[in-house]
Amino acid sequence: MLDIANTNRKPLAMGKPFTPRRQSAQSFLEDFPEKNIFRVKRKAFTDPDVYQDEISQIFERCWLYLCHDSQVADHGDYISTKMGTHSVFVMRGRDETINCFYDSCPHRGSKLTSRVSGNAKTITCRYHGWCFNADGDCTLVRGGDDAYRQSDLDRIGTDLRPIPKFGSYRGFLFGSLDPEAPALEDYIGGAAPFIDLVADQGPDGLEVLRGESRYIMEANWKLQTENSTDGYHVATVHRNFATTVGYRETLRPDTGDALSKTEASRILSLEKIGSGGYDVGNGHMINWADRGNPEAGPLWSQRGSLLERFSSGKVKWMLERGRTVTLFPNLLINDVASTCIRVWRPLTPNLTEIETWCIAPKGEQPEERRARIRKYEDFFLPSSLAVPDDVRAMEGAHIGSEAHDGGWNDLALGAKTLVDGADDAARELDISPVNSNPGREVETPFFAFWREWAERVFG
Amino acid sequence: MTHLLEEASHLLHQEGWFLDNRLWDDWLTLYTDDCIYWAPAMVGDENWTDNPDNDVSLIYMDRPGLEARIFRIEGEDSYASHPLPHTSHLVTNILVQGQTEDNVDVSATWLVHSYSRVHGRLIRGGLYRYAIRKTSLGLKIREKKIFVHDDKIVGPIDIYNI
Repeated sequence: MLDIANTNRKPLAMGKPFTPRRQSAQSFLEDFPEKNIFRVKRKAFTDPDVYQDEISQIFERCWLYLCHDSQVADHGDYISTKMGTHSVFVMRGRDETINCFYDSCPHRGSKLTSRVSGNAKTITCRYHGWCFNADGDCTLVRGGDDAYRQSDLDRIGTDLRPIPKFGSYRGFLFGSLDPEAPALEDYIGGAAPFIDLVADQGPDGLEVLRGESRYIMEANWKLQTENSTDGYHVATVHRNFATTVGYRETLRPDTGDALSKTEASRILSLEKIGSGGYDVGNGHMINWADRGNPEAGPLWSQRGSLLERFSSGKVKWMLERGRTVTLFPNLLINDVASTCIRVWRPLTPNLTEIETWCIAPKGEQPEERRARIRKYEDFFLPSSLAVPDDVRAMEGAHIGSEAHDGGWNDLALGAKTLVDGADDAARELDISPVNSNPGREVETPFFAFWREWAERVFG
Repeated sequence: MTHLLEEASHLLHQEGWFLDNRLWDDWLTLYTDDCIYWAPAMVGDENWTDNPDNDVSLIYMDRPGLEARIFRIEGEDSYASHPLPHTSHLVTNILVQGQTEDNVDVSATWLVHSYSRVHGRLIRGGLYRYAIRKTSLGLKIREKKIFVHDDKIVGPIDIYNI
């Protein structure tokens, strides 16, 4: 039984108090439903003051995805990452406990982990040698017995500082630097059924596969948030992906093996397939499209056992609909031809670090695992046949938004077909989105993101 | 050994020349029909993935995969690949690590300088490990393994810039 700790010590809220810069939300977002207007000032992507407020109000307050519990499977396993300006690390302690600590020595602030991930039963500060066990307890203050009064050590607090909020949703580990943050389940809210569609794929759970990728995009982080749920660019930016893998298929002998087939047809045959977008609340966005040939998916062979465990509507969603689930502000869980977790963190207003992992059901068959990995490499990496084109498109959008008064992005695509509440596909999953749109080529799910963004930055 | 080293060095230098001059079809002739082109991904700070069936690689391709990459570049429909950066491959420290009657194991060190208007000057580096087959047409690449040392890379990673 997994026990998420961080409750046994008083958390330290280290974020600076909010001092609003008093820029008006309406300088950046015009949201007038009664006039059918929703538009975003392009300066929102480049303004340095907006960026500072995003760091303090979004990245140092929201629940942020940190890592998957399979990446810290054993006692001493840790993953080092960042939340806004704060270095933090997630670590598996003794028993099954997982903590997330500020990656900063209680003594003089040195970063404690020297690797992006690793295993250590003892963390030793490289500067003055204080030691901590994997549960965060200080086990050594070097020379402390002779030189420190106990009252001073008590005041300093020698144990590692847990971040204020830390929790797991189905093995996906999240943290928040806001002691007042809502419960994680409430934050995930309407996106939860879509995470379940991935988490329920393996009876023994999921695992993040070995093999990491980090890359830098020379563009604002919000362009990645938009791009992750943007169904409109697929047929243009990824037309090239579809023709390339289609061409490759003609070069290989046809083995008749469904797994070896691509799902490129999905990209090129928009008019023939069902698709849609949802605002599921809290800034989370969904975009989906029917799979062109669902039998090519690595999970197809499990259809029988999935139908025994779940409703036919849910299994249809799992196997026959490709989904992009974008959680506010910076997480994408993508289940299309393969399965991808992507996280993006702002470094400056015009520089973003992106990390991506392949996630898969534990214990899947070798040929399915292999097919999943090849399709992941085809699409989701900076070395793939698709992501480089996305990155270039976002960098182009950033350059085009840099003008001092660069105008507005009017997000009206799909407004004509937007409906409140659920559509038929949503009812098959028994969910109640804020609104639905029967088409992949829509921008209306973005409303969810931008409204949440404005509320947090200017609220 | 000296002759073999010369021959292997010629092959590696030719590969750089063909890539830098965008002579894609000539580049492909350096590979066997059953070739594997493999850039493992990093694991933490120290390691690279070593099982392409169960781990993610940056690139793991057979010959049709290479041909498709060329198709993608030449099609000029890939936003990231058009215009292409100008690249300069520096391939050095070439060593014959071992050989059998039919195969040669060669290692090398690489730097690629690339320049584009979009990203400016980029320099990446790493190591190569080649499994080279002795054929009647000379040495051909059976497997090329590319260790990319740069993490947090700006711009795409593709056959022309690693």
